Amino acid sequence: MSEVPLALQPLRSVGKSVLDMLRTAGQVTLFGVRGVGALLSPPWFFGQLGRQLMGVGYFSLPVVGLTAVFTGAALALNIYTGGGRFNAEQIMPQIVALGITRELGPVLAALMLAGRVSAAMAAEIGAMRATEQIDAMKTLSTDPFRYLVAPRLLATVIVMPLLTLAADIIGIAGGWVVATKTLDFNGAVYVKNTWDFLQGWDVVSGLIKAAVFGFIIALMGCYHGYNSSGGARGVGRATTHAVVSAAILIFAADYLLTSAFTHR
Amino acid sequence: MAKEQWAETAVGAVVIAAAVGFLAYSLTVGGKTGGHGYEVKARFGQVGSLAPGAVVSVAGVKVGTVSSITLDPKTYLAVVKLDLDAKTPLPADSVAKITSDGLLGGQHVTIEPGGSTDNLKPGSDIQNTQGAVDLFGLVGQFLRPPAPAGGASGSAPAPAVAPDAKAGAGA
Repeated sequence: MSEVPLALQPLRSVGKSVLDMLRTAGQVTLFGVRGVGALLSPPWFFGQLGRQLMGVGYFSLPVVGLTAVFTGAALALNIYTGGGRFNAEQIMPQIVALGITRELGPVLAALMLAGRVSAAMAAEIGAMRATEQIDAMKTLSTDPFRYLVAPRLLATVIVMPLLTLAADIIGIAGGWVVATKTLDFNGAVYVKNTWDFLQGWDVVSGLIKAAVFGFIIALMGCYHGYNSSGGARGVGRATTHAVVSAAILIFAADYLLTSAFTHR
Repeated sequence: MAKEQWAETAVGAVVIAAAVGFLAYSLTVGGKTGGHGYEVKARFGQVGSLAPGAVVSVAGVKVGTVSSITLDPKTYLAVVKLDLDAKTPLPADSVAKITSDGLLGGQHVTIEPGGSTDNLKPGSDIQNTQGAVDLFGLVGQFLRPPAPAGGASGSAPAPAVAPDAKAGAGA
């Protein structure tokens, strides 16, 4: 330390933070690879997978549904206002459908799950780390990657597209309710316009995004929980980091995937 | 814990039911009619993007909906069935028009009441109709005049396209 001249200290700290960032990226990648690798060969823990499917998927439905219905309704009002500025209020159903299926359905479902699921995973695995249950598991020659990480990864990847599909339908229904109840749209015409306009790829690209977001959510939850340290405070820190990093990665991945889908 | 799980299970079921219900509604819609009212037919040469469920209005006030659109295989006219409210009898010589909400808007049927003392009977035809206006066809005619103007008009593909435009206008 002492042999580094004072003038080079800033450089040193920049280099250190870059190396730290690289190391974190490498650790997360290796963690993900180990998690996926654990899926590829037995033993599989189907009971764990089933519990995660219920916990992550089914019990997230209320949150995702509520988010979707209010977003669809607000989106409908805003697009109606915007369309009205050039006498195109009538294309509102199509724009709402496109916005929900391509963007808002997957992203909002993923953000709600990042808050609900990523945090829960980080807290649960973090608490197991703090109470040395993970070490005990290794002693009993149960691979924590197989027992804890792999079922969570797989369950979230399976469940996210299904939740997004529900969010798509409920979001469009939210727009439909506002349009028919307050904006004098005809319900049947609204639905027909939506069906005629929507293409398979609009929905499928959203579901692909959702699966990727699902992987990010579970990976961040498991990674931060597994690597937590320092008892109860460490668990709290792991939870925060899991949610924040999952949300940031979701937005980044969303842009990358959208641009890949747009220029294909 | 079990109690909470029951509440969450119930709410989850409600969410799924709402999604499935709306999906089912959206798949079955269009074949449905109002049921209480009377039905009249109108034949149009061109219905454009008119859809079942579209509004039928008189003076801008809704009096019914379009219940079905079929093609008459003999005359090649579109037969539009209108489901009208029983509270609004309309004169037999009324005119049915297909109009648009805006430049990009959805299309609906407007009825201009006539002066006859007889009213339209359930199941009868509206004799006077005016179909949808093909706005882009009209614009196209202005942009590419159907008469071959020779080399002076400038654009090379114009003569090749002009007969098509003429045929479109004639149909």
